[in-house]
Amino acid sequence: MFEQLVGKLPVGIGIVDEDFNVVYLNDFFLDRLPHNMRSCYKETPVVELFQGQGKFLKRRLKSVFVLQHPSFSYWEQRPHIFPFKSSRPITGEETQMYQNMEILPIKDKTTGQRLACIFLQDVTAQASYFRAQQKLSEALKKEHEAQRKLIRKLDTAQSQLIQAEKMASTGQLAAGIAHEINNPIGFVNANLNTLEQYASHLLAICDGVKTQLEHFTDDLKEQISVLFESNHYDLLKDDITELITESTDGLTRVKDIVENLKNFSLETTEGTQVVDICAVCHQLITLISAQYSSPQYKLQCEHEKVEVMGNPGPLKQALMNVMINAAQAIEEKGFIKLTVIDAAQSVTIKILDSGCGIPVKNLKRVFEPFFTTKPEGQGQGLGLSVAYTAIEQHQGKISISSKEAKGTVVEITIPKQSTAAASCCEESEVENSQAT
Amino acid sequence: MSIVLPLDEEQRDALQELLNISMGQAANSLAQLIETKIDISIPKISAVTPTQLYSLLFETKDAFYTRQSFLGDVHGEVMSVLSQAGLSEVATLMDYDEPLSKEDIQEIILELCNILAGACLAGLSEQLELTTNLNMPTLFLPDKANFDELQWQHSLVMEVQFVIAISSFSMRVVFCLDDESLARMKDTLDELLA
Repeated sequence: MFEQLVGKLPVGIGIVDEDFNVVYLNDFFLDRLPHNMRSCYKETPVVELFQGQGKFLKRRLKSVFVLQHPSFSYWEQRPHIFPFKSSRPITGEETQMYQNMEILPIKDKTTGQRLACIFLQDVTAQASYFRAQQKLSEALKKEHEAQRKLIRKLDTAQSQLIQAEKMASTGQLAAGIAHEINNPIGFVNANLNTLEQYASHLLAICDGVKTQLEHFTDDLKEQISVLFESNHYDLLKDDITELITESTDGLTRVKDIVENLKNFSLETTEGTQVVDICAVCHQLITLISAQYSSPQYKLQCEHEKVEVMGNPGPLKQALMNVMINAAQAIEEKGFIKLTVIDAAQSVTIKILDSGCGIPVKNLKRVFEPFFTTKPEGQGQGLGLSVAYTAIEQHQGKISISSKEAKGTVVEITIPKQSTAAASCCEESEVENSQAT
Repeated sequence: MSIVLPLDEEQRDALQELLNISMGQAANSLAQLIETKIDISIPKISAVTPTQLYSLLFETKDAFYTRQSFLGDVHGEVMSVLSQAGLSEVATLMDYDEPLSKEDIQEIILELCNILAGACLAGLSEQLELTTNLNMPTLFLPDKANFDELQWQHSLVMEVQFVIAISSFSMRVVFCLDDESLARMKDTLDELLA
């Protein structure tokens, strides 16, 4: 009866002797043996009968015989000790059986022979379930990570929006001021022109008087000469034209600056249009040299005009932020060199300065929003971050390399024809759809 | 330690002696299997609270932990702490091929615990004439918070350390008994002493 019971048990029971030869196998094992082997399995080495993990099985059997103490093995570490197929060859998800094994030392009561009993449990269902759970948890983890990334992106986008808002209001303010300044500049300019004419007339009169001096009476001649001398006429004559020319020049510069300020602030029209990079660079240099006069500015353009399709506002903002950084990096003497390289499909703008440079530890953080080395209240740490976003919107690339005390190069490459219209909203929509 | 040990002096000495013998047997078993010399420490017997047990075992750095329960005349658990250092040398001794996969390492840890804990328990049971059956070992990642909330107050622990001479590998095995089993063991010890 016990023999039958053991035979029919739903776990594998096998007994081997000290030479690892099979003494007994129950139906669980027999059902899985090739048909022709079922009658002649006895006295065959177990590792020959069930090939695959022979080395491992031998090792464990040896340990059981030596130590006379049970040995265990789990599917997690060693899933397929015996090369059995899953018990569901048609509908199962797994092809091979997952097994837990236990080997017990036993003794034949009649002969005293030492034997080892192998228990084999089919845990395919549990293993399959466990693995499915694990996959699920991994998927969850991945999704969670993606969400966290998205949240970080949103945070960045929000801070940049705030900055953009600030920039926009500053721009409006500047535009207002520019407009107000334009009026007085207008009449001062007109007056100056008239003044120039008047001055030349006056000088002509005086010169006329001087040339006619011979014809006056001695008394009158004497008086006029004294008058000329007491008013330093020669000096005045030399100086007056110079003064007026200088003032006109100065006024022209003021006009230029105001004009540029208006250009920068008024262009809120979002949309792609042709932007002449060379012209932008010229404008920038005028604008920035007014504020930062110590560096020498150089512009190197291969062509008169280098045009790209882009959004002028953000593009100029990006270049300006980079240029301001360059200018601020130079304390006394130095130069800033802009190079515009016109390649077939793209334009590269190199902004090189001979300033203080950026320490290596800060270099990888410069594009982070709110990262700044300036004292509190002097910088918001948004300049390069905004530049980065603007360039990214144009499918471009911005990279920075620097050596402390030597200088910094920022390289911006923008495709001439950006594929997607570089509008803010569209950009964020694209990002959203990628992330989900 | 302020806790009164639930064993009296004589019982303690007897248990210590028995442990000494069974641990020696365990070391021999392992030595035989991996063909190398193994040193053992003198067994320590003490009573601990759950928090003390946690610090005793699981505040070891760079270690693997396992647990394994046993049933029979006495019930309890064996916990082992294995050093991560020197494990690869032991693996070579145990006939594993380099490089070791994560699964190989787990298997080696579990097997080592099984061999040592099994041998110790078998030795001790034999000397005390008790029968015990060891269940399969599992890897263990204890949480201190859970330990602080355990229901029991004190437990008798028997601790021994194995050091494999040729490598930096070492392993501690700690037996814990439940109250009922402790009472039974005390009786058995008394019988032996009588």
